Amino acid sequence: MNWVITIMILALLIPIYEAWQDNSIWQKMLAFASIATKTSIMILVVSVLRDDWMIGVVGVLILSVGNAALMLLAHVLRRINDL
Amino acid sequence: MPEILTDEFYILAIALLLPLTACMLVSQVNPYHALVIRGILGAVAALVYALFGAADVALTEALVGTMLSITLYAVAVRSSMSMRLGVLDSKTTEHPLPSMDSVLAALRPPLDKYYLRLEVVPYSNLQDLHTALRDQEVHAICESLEPRQTQPASLTVDDSTLENHEPSYRLHIRVRRLYNILQAALPDAIAHLTYVNVAASSAAASHSTSSIAKPVEGHL
Repeated sequence: MNWVITIMILALLIPIYEAWQDNSIWQKMLAFASIATKTSIMILVVSVLRDDWMIGVVGVLILSVGNAALMLLAHVLRRINDL
Repeated sequence: MPEILTDEFYILAIALLLPLTACMLVSQVNPYHALVIRGILGAVAALVYALFGAADVALTEALVGTMLSITLYAVAVRSSMSMRLGVLDSKTTEHPLPSMDSVLAALRPPLDKYYLRLEVVPYSNLQDLHTALRDQEVHAICESLEPRQTQPASLTVDDSTLENHEPSYRLHIRVRRLYNILQAALPDAIAHLTYVNVAASSAAASHSTSSIAKPVEGHL
């Protein structure tokens, strides 16, 4: 089961590298969206591995609510580009 | 024992992501990029907290640390890092101002270097424009040096030669730092720059009211 999480960590490094080297703000936002989803899925996988329902509920909440932050931030950034 | 070691391994690998993203965050220069990286840091931190069994801390980090604080910071950065430039509204003035776009285009690159937005505030007449500068509603105003004669359509060929011989705009700037930035970057052929000390002039104008520094000052 350990190699599953190792592969997920390696997959998480891809958008982190993308956020670090890309200078476009929208590319960074896309990398942020990718990382937010990947981390919440990792929380879910860890909760299944440990059979811990409390962490599982938190993972579901972060997965469902986390994209709202992205929407708010994207709207503020879009308004900046309009002016 | 080896099982514990392998169990430790992925926890260690995930925990190492936290200093990695933190180093990325502190190396950012552009404030908006830093905000996005702060969101990434919050997501990784929530993962680490959930991994260590602190479900409540992870939920708080994801909701408050990532969502609420980033939105508030984005609004704060957007409203504070801007230069408000008062101009005469071209629709209401009797003299059309053809090359105002060239001034704005010349202003944008030096301001972009400091991640400042240029916010153009239109005013209907010259008196309102100067009042706005004195009342610290805007950081700078842009006015034409002399009202240009409206020319018949046959003489539009001479327009290019007219524009080239001297700058037709004057920028009054009341923030010293903005004046220094723009004086170094703006070519004199486009606009004359003058620094206006609003605090001194307003104190001289009104002895009765003490001049209180308003929080409109742009922090650079």
